[in-house]
Amino acid sequence: MPDARSFARPADPDDDAVLLRDVVVRAAGEDRRPSRTILTVDGLRLTERRIGVLGANGSGKSTLLRLLNGLQLPDSGSVTVHGLDTRRDGRAVRALVGFVFTDPLSQLVMPTGREDLELSLRRSVPRKDRAARAQEILERFGLATLADQSVYELSGGERQLMALASVLAVEPRVLALDEPSTLLDLRNRELLRRTLAELPQQQVLATHDLELALDMDRVLVVDRAEIVFDGDPASAVAFYRELSLSGTP
Amino acid sequence: MNGRGTPLGEYLPGHSWLHRTPLGLKAGFLAVLGLGTFWLSSWAASLAVLGLVVALFASIAPGWRRTWRLFAAPAPLLLVVLVFQSWQLGPGRGISIAANITSCLVAAAILTLTTPVQTLLDGVVRLASPLRRFGLDPERLALLIAITLRSIPYLLGTFSSVREAARARGLERSPRARVLPVLIASVAYAQRTGDALTARGLGDATEPEADDPAFN
Ligand SMILES: Nc1ncnc2c1ncn2[C@@H]1O[C@H](COP(=O)(O)OP(=O)(O)O)[C@@H](O)[C@H]1O
Ligand SMILES: [Mg+2]
Repeated sequence: MPDARSFARPADPDDDAVLLRDVVVRAAGEDRRPSRTILTVDGLRLTERRIGVLGANGSGKSTLLRLLNGLQLPDSGSVTVHGLDTRRDGRAVRALVGFVFTDPLSQLVMPTGREDLELSLRRSVPRKDRAARAQEILERFGLATLADQSVYELSGGERQLMALASVLAVEPRVLALDEPSTLLDLRNRELLRRTLAELPQQQVLATHDLELALDMDRVLVVDRAEIVFDGDPASAVAFYRELSLSGTP
Repeated sequence: MNGRGTPLGEYLPGHSWLHRTPLGLKAGFLAVLGLGTFWLSSWAASLAVLGLVVALFASIAPGWRRTWRLFAAPAPLLLVVLVFQSWQLGPGRGISIAANITSCLVAAAILTLTTPVQTLLDGVVRLASPLRRFGLDPERLALLIAITLRSIPYLLGTFSSVREAARARGLERSPRARVLPVLIASVAYAQRTGDALTARGLGDATEPEADDPAFN
């Protein structure tokens, strides 16, 4: 198991929240048709270490996550992470918030895991130290033996861990994870679940995996572009079950 | 997605003499050898160069499977070139042109097989750094090249899975059923890759401190 604690950075005690204020995201309107709202969040303050986001396909989970690191900018309102505005301080926000996608193959842009890690390190670590740093991270995640294999030859779980390692290499303080276990089988899901549980980073995780949702400290339920529930995991899961089974609430 | 396509762009970890040759020397030599062939018009000279490049390729012990993958995909195309050019320009020119293209292919494979991508990127950054004056960010250029290399096997994989999907629906003769999904998949791939790079901050222009030679 990775010794993930060493990824920790001293947290700024005053300002370590994720804040969304009066956020509206609209789909780019085509022609003269009125544009559709894909997410509204009146006010949201996230301070818990692990926050889950549940919701049906198309409800707005990815949009919410993409707001956190500036991949999506709000059409109105503001998003700040540890005091940094995603619109104004885009570059700093991207360094602060790591993003893990559902499909690790779209994340791993190099042919092998080691090369991908070294790519991550290009901006932050001088050339002469890069190889050693990459090796150190690979070992921490138990991935050293897989580092030189083609990313296509790894199992889904190994690939997702490799993508996670590449993201963690630049030491983000917040992780946005968009359905990271959706493509994984049960065993790999368990491996990812344990790895995530040990990370010190604040995590905002969208998922359909109710078990994973129950590991969180706080869970939001998104439905049709709005946050319709916000509370403890067990109640949120019960609410989400009800919502899904009743069809139209 | 099937990614076991051409080994072009792949790195073969190892310690052969070509692995140990400095990048500038190796790239320069292979470029002269590969591109220089286009000034060759005698079939004997072209075949001699091809022989030399293939001998270099063999010296890194690439293994049969990798060798097969390198030649299998372009073989039909090379055959078409050989036949067409022999018919148009005579067999001597036909052989020369097909051999020259093959030499370039093998030279490119030697370069990527014996050079870690990071070293290749560092080389591109160094080579392109004078262009910074004209507003070109060498680090982005290097990234562009790396992504292009990476997308070759991915897109070839898309081609073959789309072909299978079309066949499963009995549409293998419909160009629409074969070309359109590849285009859509390529755009989606580009979009996802762009997002992934942006999310990792790799799409940003290089910061001043990364201009430090220690980074490049
Ligand atoms: N770039 C976009 N342009 C237009 N519509 C979009 C865009 N991105 C997402 N949407 C739409 O916004 C809604 C929410 O999408 P998303 O946040 O991806 O949902 P989820 O991740 O919960 O499945 C969906 O209806 C989706 O079709
Ligand atoms: Mg989504």
